[in-house]
Amino acid sequence: MEDLFEFQNVCYRYPGHKQLALQDVNVRLPEGEKIAVVGRNGAGKSTLFLHCNGLYRPLCGQVLFRGRPLAYDRASLKRLRQQVGMIFQNPDNQLFSASVAQDISFGPLNLGLSEAETRRRVLEAAEMCDIIHVLDRPTHSLSGGEKTRVALAGVLAMQPEVLVADEPLASLDPWMRLTFFEILQRFYDRGKTIIMATHNLSVVRYWASYVIVLQAGRVVFSGTPKELLTNRVVLEQTELSRVWWKVDPGFDEETRAPATSPGAEDGRLKETRNFHFGEDGDWSI
Amino acid sequence: MQLIERYAYHNRLRKVQPDHKAAIALLGLLLCLALDKPVVSLTCIAWMFVLVVFIAGVPARTFGHVLLVEGGFILMTIPGILIGIGPSAPSDPAAWAWPLGPVWISTSSAALWRGVALVMRALGCAAAMNFLALTTPSVDIIELLRRWRMPPVLIDIMTVTYRSIFVLLESANTMYIAQDSRLGYMTSRMRAIHNVALLASQLFIEAYRRGKELQIALESRGFTGELHVLPTSYRFSPLFTVLGVVMTAQLILLWAMV
Ligand SMILES: Nc1ncnc2c1ncn2[C@@H]1O[C@H](COP(=O)(O)OP(=O)(O)OP(=O)(O)O)[C@@H](O)[C@H]1O
Ligand SMILES: [Mg+2]
Repeated sequence: MEDLFEFQNVCYRYPGHKQLALQDVNVRLPEGEKIAVVGRNGAGKSTLFLHCNGLYRPLCGQVLFRGRPLAYDRASLKRLRQQVGMIFQNPDNQLFSASVAQDISFGPLNLGLSEAETRRRVLEAAEMCDIIHVLDRPTHSLSGGEKTRVALAGVLAMQPEVLVADEPLASLDPWMRLTFFEILQRFYDRGKTIIMATHNLSVVRYWASYVIVLQAGRVVFSGTPKELLTNRVVLEQTELSRVWWKVDPGFDEETRAPATSPGAEDGRLKETRNFHFGEDGDWSI
Repeated sequence: MQLIERYAYHNRLRKVQPDHKAAIALLGLLLCLALDKPVVSLTCIAWMFVLVVFIAGVPARTFGHVLLVEGGFILMTIPGILIGIGPSAPSDPAAWAWPLGPVWISTSSAALWRGVALVMRALGCAAAMNFLALTTPSVDIIELLRRWRMPPVLIDIMTVTYRSIFVLLESANTMYIAQDSRLGYMTSRMRAIHNVALLASQLFIEAYRRGKELQIALESRGFTGELHVLPTSYRFSPLFTVLGVVMTAQLILLWAMV
């Protein structure tokens, strides 16, 4: 499996701050996976994401995209940003126009697409995200979840290779979450990669095929969810063991390992999948 | 402003090409300015009333309310025209004058008439612009200016400013509610003033931060200095062309006859 992104000794500091927001990050993000990024508030998830399409430039080290170091000149950035679509934590900061349709059309037009093609993509993306009915409402009259969906449509309309979503679930209702995961699944089925920061451990447990754990600006784990569950050192160090049983009732806190055998676990995995996404108000930490 | 916004989005002329609506409004404005007679202005107001209330379906109350507010502002500028203040009684025998200490305050029927004419003219212009404001959302007006070849920089600034107004209003509102829910405005008057100051300074920081984040988000979607967006498509309305011609003809006729 090829690496989509590779971070090599990346560190980053916000101007005017002493503390490093990312320090010595070494991690590979494999292509064609559903990658969940977890970590406590302020661990550096958003900062990491902003490196993925060249919005932030590492203070030291480098970021590789498909094996090549990122170049920060205009043309390279433009190519990169077409392939890497971003949804930000707060959709209000992402929507610039009072017209929903205009906002969605912004990305495709920047790609140099024709008006007709852009119009087609706007409609397609809007339909996918179920926002056809708000297309000619002003942005400021939308609810938080509707804004998130508009932001998602604005990115999908660019048809990126990778979707980088910073905590997109927060303002979506349980029904919309299901829809959201269906959209993601369709995206994923076309062989594309999804990278999602989340505070929702059931997403890590049941959705992700790859997990990155951040702690205080460092990547302390990367691997499959199963590997994470059996890695006692990391579970303890990040205190994930303290919260994990909430999403995984079979998780044995004493032994810090899933109690069920892999076979039995897969059976339960299927039947609980939707349930967890539907009602995770309880589960998210 | 919120009220005007609401009707701009929900009226029967919402889907009519903004060009036509803007043309009618500009026509009304120009005619009121060029054909300077109260009867023309009054007719213009009547036209706009019919367009806004009967054709667009905006409540008459709203039309009146907006015009009244503007009328208030216009009236404030009138005393300077109506009333003359001088060291001696005015020479014009038709004028009314009162001594007030060392100065004379005077007015005349001519001045009164001039004042009325001016108010009518201003109201006529205001009504014409209200027609546009009440039937066309700002998004469409900005879009129109883009098509009328206004410099892109100005258009982009208008787009972002307009959106930011609402984002900041919302932040201010949220902050106010947050303060209020923790009893920020229930204690002393001094406390309340202090809290408003806090809110204002926080809003500055917020605006700055949001500006930066918006820039980042735009760049991630390929922003290179110009906000390209799709033009909206509208249906052509022959009705408005006819209306425009009829209105012009009537106003000119009135002006010539009276
Ligand atoms: N604009 C900024 N200026 C200065 N420091 C910042 C800025 N944004 C983040 N930081 C700091 O950088 C560190 C990492 O922040 P980041 O936003 O990446 O965390 P996060 O993992 O996304 O957290 P959350 O789960 O709360 O979204 C934090 O210590 C934070 O205080
Ligand atoms: Mg974050």
